[in-house]
Amino acid sequence: MKNLLRSLTALALATSGLLVAVALPASASTKVVTCFKLEKNVVHTKKFHGVCAHGWSKKRPKPAPVADVAVENPGTASLTETGSTLLYPLWNIWAPAFQSEFPQVSLTTGGTGSGTGIADAASGTVNIGSSDAYLSSSQLTSTPNLLNIPVAISYQMIEYNIPGLTAHLKLNGKILSQIYQGQITNWNDSAIAAINPGVSLPNLKIVALHRSDGSGDTFIFSQYLADTDPTWSSKYSYGTTISWPTISNSLGENGNGGMVSGCAATSGCIAYVGISYLTSVLGDGQTYAQLENGVGQYELPTAATASTEAAGFTAKTPANGTISMIDGKVSGGYPIVNYEYAIVNKVQSSASLAKAVRSLLEWTIDPSYGGSSQYLGQVRFDPLPVKIVTQSYKQIKEIQ
Amino acid sequence: MAALIFVIGPSIWLIADVVIRALPHWQWSVLTTVPVGVGGGLENAILGTLVIMVGVLLIAGTVGILTGIHFAELQRLRRSGKAGGNFLRTATEVLAGFPSIVLGYVGYIALCVGLHWGFSLLPALIVLSIMVTPYIAKSTESALRQVPTNYREGAEALGMATGYALRKVVIKSALPGIVTGLLIALAIAVGETAPLLYTAGITNNLPSLSLIHQPIAYLTYYVWTDYNQPILATRYLSYDAALILIALVLVLLVSSRLLVNRTQRYSEGRR
Amino acid sequence: MSDEMASTAITLPSASDPTRRASGLGRVGSFLRGSEENAWRWSARVASLIPLVGLAFVLTVLAIKAWPAIRVNGFGFLSRSTWNPGSTYAAPVKTSGVLHPVGSSYGAWPLIAGTLQTSVIALIVALPISLGTAFALTEHLPRWLSRPISFFVEILAGIPSVIIGLWGVLTLGPFLAKHVYPFISNNIPNVPFLRYFKGNVGYGEGLLTSGLVLGLMIVPIIASTARDLFMQVPPLPKEGAEALGMTEAEVARRVTIPWVRSGLIGATVLGLGRALGETIAVAMISGSILGAVSPNVYGTMTTIAATIVSQLDSAATDGTGFAIATLAEAGLVLAVISVVVNVIARGIVNRTSKHLAPVGKS
Repeated sequence: MKNLLRSLTALALATSGLLVAVALPASASTKVVTCFKLEKNVVHTKKFHGVCAHGWSKKRPKPAPVADVAVENPGTASLTETGSTLLYPLWNIWAPAFQSEFPQVSLTTGGTGSGTGIADAASGTVNIGSSDAYLSSSQLTSTPNLLNIPVAISYQMIEYNIPGLTAHLKLNGKILSQIYQGQITNWNDSAIAAINPGVSLPNLKIVALHRSDGSGDTFIFSQYLADTDPTWSSKYSYGTTISWPTISNSLGENGNGGMVSGCAATSGCIAYVGISYLTSVLGDGQTYAQLENGVGQYELPTAATASTEAAGFTAKTPANGTISMIDGKVSGGYPIVNYEYAIVNKVQSSASLAKAVRSLLEWTIDPSYGGSSQYLGQVRFDPLPVKIVTQSYKQIKEIQ
Repeated sequence: MAALIFVIGPSIWLIADVVIRALPHWQWSVLTTVPVGVGGGLENAILGTLVIMVGVLLIAGTVGILTGIHFAELQRLRRSGKAGGNFLRTATEVLAGFPSIVLGYVGYIALCVGLHWGFSLLPALIVLSIMVTPYIAKSTESALRQVPTNYREGAEALGMATGYALRKVVIKSALPGIVTGLLIALAIAVGETAPLLYTAGITNNLPSLSLIHQPIAYLTYYVWTDYNQPILATRYLSYDAALILIALVLVLLVSSRLLVNRTQRYSEGRR
Repeated sequence: MSDEMASTAITLPSASDPTRRASGLGRVGSFLRGSEENAWRWSARVASLIPLVGLAFVLTVLAIKAWPAIRVNGFGFLSRSTWNPGSTYAAPVKTSGVLHPVGSSYGAWPLIAGTLQTSVIALIVALPISLGTAFALTEHLPRWLSRPISFFVEILAGIPSVIIGLWGVLTLGPFLAKHVYPFISNNIPNVPFLRYFKGNVGYGEGLLTSGLVLGLMIVPIIASTARDLFMQVPPLPKEGAEALGMTEAEVARRVTIPWVRSGLIGATVLGLGRALGETIAVAMISGSILGAVSPNVYGTMTTIAATIVSQLDSAATDGTGFAIATLAEAGLVLAVISVVVNVIARGIVNRTSKHLAPVGKS
């Protein structure tokens, strides 16, 4: 028995020794230094070994303030963020950049879903929740201290998997609503053919994919359907989770990723996906649709059409950021565009924590830092218009 | 017998499938870097899973072994000859098949939100320990029952007190069975996803050893969340996590086998 | 007996004071040993209460969280099919004193049906495999065969359910949907009862695949309990049957199985309990369709546990808290089913196994 215990102890020590040996090299590399460069009033950050490359310097540059946003010094803090899976990749890009600016802050990101993000931000379990949907009136009533602060602009595409078809089909809200209600079941239906003259549509069953988890994407998609089809509005309305009509050819998928890969595996499928996944969609051999906007034009989802739509709503956006930008009457605008929100509790547990949270959010909306295309472009988001940056900044200042 | 094909076949297919998916894109840096952007490594999750394993070993191991000892040795036997404390034993065994998501969510409401611990290590350990204790108790109890009565009678004849006899004689000879049960329970704990989703949260940082307020990473999260991500680098992370998990579980199972084989060389009554 | 003891016991303590002298250290030693025994007894007693306390705590918290939903949903919760969260963005309304979104109406029937359906399929799949495995392990198989077999059973038990789900959704499901299901669907006669096996075979995510994978997961439980039971069957009846000319299969069928029949039922119900509560693997393979029971055996569905995992986040967006209360109610239904099934199982298994009262082998 003693021998057994001895050999067990030896095994345990060997394993832990191995782990330490494996972990050490990662931390004992040559000294890495963070360097900055100011280009067109945008701050770029990069890590180099030992010495900064030409054009970069160790000194933090001071860009000219845009929209009066001033990024405070966060001090030492440990921040947590969780929420929407659409914002998750962006937070994963923002976090290392923010932390290289302010190394004394540790930022943990999560992609648990908008609902948990909001609930956790309300209860204080995380500092920042992210959501693609603004807060509902009942959420505001039950947690009156929550702010929804726009931090970026995103848009959604309708993608489909029709083998052999690479054209961007024209679709509108009424047709989509009928597809998801099971009234249009085949791709060569006359309604689709009518608005797509010259495209040969195959005899293929449509499989309609929807999100089985609660999602901001469901929120904006169902808003588009509700805004364009009164029947959908009265029967199913909109929300981050709705009661989807039970039709014979449909699938529920988890997350944006599930929608894309589920659609890739199912020929004839149609799905609504955030624009960040454009490369994966195209890589899988799928393509996306042109949607009819509020003035009857068919537009492709591009950065230009999305920012046109957003610009049409800039004047109408209230101070608290709560507005739907779906199906606006904007010429040249893409109809499914939304603000991405950071959900924060106005009352943080301490003044220093509040300062750190404010600093992080100011950094994300500042066009010289987080709000620049070097980060947003990686996920195909659009930056906020200047007026909205100012409004968001005012909201951020309320965090105490 | 055809049944064996249905046991061995799928097991091999399963493991082979994960290996085939993960190996072509395997990089040893997965073991030493943390997730960065869409790809990166799994160092945070590996260390986190190991920390959780040690924690569950300590908590569930203690409670489970003591419970098993209680059921096997220290309960007063009823006159009817059936083992006493059926109610306690039934409650323990009922917990064994309990839906894990329910346990996880209750842990979230009561510990993470209710006690304001946030996503952290301690709620995760408590929930996992509650899940895994019944298995440890059951295997401890059956290991203790395997110890021949002669040993106990001999100890009593020599005048040992019950507690002393327990420590020096009975537990020592039941140790292989107890350790095997511990290892299998650890394998189960390491493979759980649902309870950890709502108690441990997730983080890209290495485990910080603080019990509350700091989330901790674990391998099953990446398998569950990333398996259908369209961005391939993220999907490979999920396969890598699955591969590491299988390796970990195999190590635990093989060690328990080796233990049983080694100690059966010295014990009597071996089959 | 006492003569032997007296003759060998040169250094044995006097009969009057066995505990004091036996292990040395005198009075202090005996005090320590007495308190050691008490320490063992009390710590073990406290420890054994912890699972019970944990179980009671979980059920209580669930019931408290679910209470608002129970009041509004009523008994129809178990028979309705729609899962409608209502308009979470419109103003909420009050029913029976509980605030909830307008138009919300929850029905758990498809969830309950899905849970029962997958568990039944799992049992049908797992029973023959487990019994066959248990037989193989207890009958005279060469050691080089029986060791790996029991190792593989342990692997099946230990593999994380998320990995089994991964394999099911990425490999097994598509394989079955491409090669096996169309074969079955095309070759089954078009008779009313068997029409359930015809129709759209889908892409691999659905009821049958979930049931198969679930069955694979519960094989270790049933197999190990069955093996323990088979080992308790005395060899005499079996040898007698063989002497009468029965083949091994007949011996198994007519002697061994009836001998441990109620224990087997208990083991099966145990596996059922595990299948009912399985969450992650089913969530990945089931296709996650709320609101309708699958029209054929290949169709997409959901179970209670899978629904809780996939809907928990979206339930949090309901500001009135009603959706979360409803999920807690579904969880409570599942917990109650699980507890009842497990209690019945333990009762059956315990009643038929003989080794309880005296501790240790003789």
